[in-house]
Amino acid sequence: MPLAALPRRDEQARARLAETGEIARPIVHAGERALPVSGELGELIPALRRGSVIAVEGEPGAGATSIALRLAAAATAAGEWAAAVELHGSIGGLAAAEAGVVLERFAVARRVPPTRWAAVVAALLDGIGLVLAEVPPYARVGDARRLAARARERGVVLVGVGGWPAEAALRVWAEGSEWRGLGCGTGLLAARDLGVRVEGHGVPAHGVVPVARAG
Amino acid sequence: MPVAVLERGERGPVVLSASTEARAEGVTTGLRRREAETRCPGLIVADADPHVEARAFEAVARAVEAFTPRLVLDRPGRLAFPTRGPSRYFGGDESLAARVLAAVGEVGTVDARLGVADGAFAAGLAARAATPGTAHVVPAGESPAFLSEWSVAALGDPELADLLTRLGLRTMGAFAALPAPSVLGRFGPSGARAYRLALGLDEHPPALEEPPPELTETAELDPPATQVETAAFVAKGLADRLLERLEVRGMACTRVTIEAETEHGERLARCWRHDGALTPEALAARVRWQLEGWLTGRENSDEDIDVTAGLTLLRLAPDEIVPLDGRQLGFWGGDQAAADRAGRALARVQGMLGHFGELVTPVLQGGRTPAERVRWVPWGDPREPLRPVDAVRAPGANVAEMPPWPGALPDPAPARVFDLPLAAEFLDRDGQPVVVSGRGDPSAPPARLRCAELPGGGGDIAAWVGPWAHDLRWWDRKTRARCARWEVVVTPGVACLVAVTGGHATVEAIYD
Repeated sequence: MPLAALPRRDEQARARLAETGEIARPIVHAGERALPVSGELGELIPALRRGSVIAVEGEPGAGATSIALRLAAAATAAGEWAAAVELHGSIGGLAAAEAGVVLERFAVARRVPPTRWAAVVAALLDGIGLVLAEVPPYARVGDARRLAARARERGVVLVGVGGWPAEAALRVWAEGSEWRGLGCGTGLLAARDLGVRVEGHGVPAHGVVPVARAG
Repeated sequence: MPVAVLERGERGPVVLSASTEARAEGVTTGLRRREAETRCPGLIVADADPHVEARAFEAVARAVEAFTPRLVLDRPGRLAFPTRGPSRYFGGDESLAARVLAAVGEVGTVDARLGVADGAFAAGLAARAATPGTAHVVPAGESPAFLSEWSVAALGDPELADLLTRLGLRTMGAFAALPAPSVLGRFGPSGARAYRLALGLDEHPPALEEPPPELTETAELDPPATQVETAAFVAKGLADRLLERLEVRGMACTRVTIEAETEHGERLARCWRHDGALTPEALAARVRWQLEGWLTGRENSDEDIDVTAGLTLLRLAPDEIVPLDGRQLGFWGGDQAAADRAGRALARVQGMLGHFGELVTPVLQGGRTPAERVRWVPWGDPREPLRPVDAVRAPGANVAEMPPWPGALPDPAPARVFDLPLAAEFLDRDGQPVVVSGRGDPSAPPARLRCAELPGGGGDIAAWVGPWAHDLRWWDRKTRARCARWEVVVTPGVACLVAVTGGHATVEAIYD
């Protein structure tokens, strides 16, 4: 086949194709701009707005990681990708699967040096639907604001875990939990009542989430 | 000695090739590892290493090059060349085949198999039909008859083969008897390609046009590259650029010539091909294999090797290009676009982290503890568990069984699992450390847990259960691991997984 007879797939042709795609794209309703949160946590936080920042805080063992993983599960359930940025590397993969995260679309950057933290999070915001970022101690407010602006521009949910230093659309506190099912030498960890406080627009202020089988 | 080389298949290791002794016991290509070991007790298995194979195969390629300059490599271990000229010169196909086998035997490959037929595909199957160390020659014009007996599985397209078998077309002869327009209409371009193969034709109609010279990609190496890594890095960039430019023209490359020049002015060239179009990864792998052959081969060989100095120039020239008809992207993007975007972002992060950190993805696998039950796979590697998580079928058994993990910790899983467990003190009511006896009985019920990382430094234990005593690999003194684990809830409501090994307590995980 002569080369000249083939349709050229150059930049111009691609741009035209992309334009036609934009025109013919189905309408996106406001509801679809949000990622619905399922399960018990969904009663407190019905949906995550794309492009917003959510700060999750809590002492070790209070349940902050479980909450963050459930938010990541909301993203992967909608077909989006999720990534976590960790300073040391301790997120439990099994707990992520139990929280409902689709592991095929979940990546974890581990042992990220604090000096490169902002650059790594920024790079992930370019292509991932939801980024869980463990915030290093003494993170700069300026960095956090730049990342928030980038998340807004790209329509990505940014979840800061532990001490987010800037403004956030939602602030979630894990306020300790009560475990059920375990006695002294008997029973097993079966369920927990997770105290969660949420501040932000359009959400109930306070609640206790009964979570069955959650680590 | 029966030997089999394994490669990673979709569901675990499968046999890539086997020695004559192993074949005699019924070990065939594509067999699962367990099945192969069952059929042939005492089988020695080794993992395939294409880089080592490429180095070893370079000697074979050199031996064949003495007969014809027009050889085309497929992968390490397999090469093809057109026979019309050489056959006439050496007095026929049989005579040529005997000479080539003798030359290859001189460089140490005694069980090479050789096939002669009307096309590259039929010749490949003829080589498979030959016994090691001999040649199978299909007379001119009889290739369709030779092919008609083969199963459609030999077409190399498992999905299509499965479909054809279910339609009752078990052999290539039956498939080739269908009318051509119906094949294209029902099975699409990939079916039409397979149909051409079944007819004994080449995969593509012969390209009448030479690829234009401006498509050639060249890179000069300064300083000259003596290491494979250095040259392969440059070659990766060349491969990406070449295929990108071809894609803009709507073309794909099926055969590429890799050329190199050295400091001493030597010129090297070798042609490689691939079934279907070359992807950037497949092309980069072939360039790497060739570089292994050129650069590594000269160190451990005293033959008259062409490469005496570092490479100063690398060139990738497309040798055969065909219209690109394979891929159609979704119109509105959708999941594929999201996956591409995510893939690009993750590749960038992987580059940024370098040796500081790592980008990984979790894969669930079998095991007892939360840490064991997850394998963190580097991003981009195949997501395969080391230990099966689902039911597996034992060799010879009819029913699949769940692998037992006695003493596995129950759900739920902790959300924080530490690579390096946190040092802790695990004390009973009298302030003595809790330990376990050789039979797994605890010395006393635990009462306090101290750990600097817990809020308030730990505290009294409100509830506990355990121990789960694990005595792993007790048959091996070096890797034996004994450990006892407890689930505890420390006031005020922090649940942890505590492990005691050799009298030392650690917090392995927190249910955060």
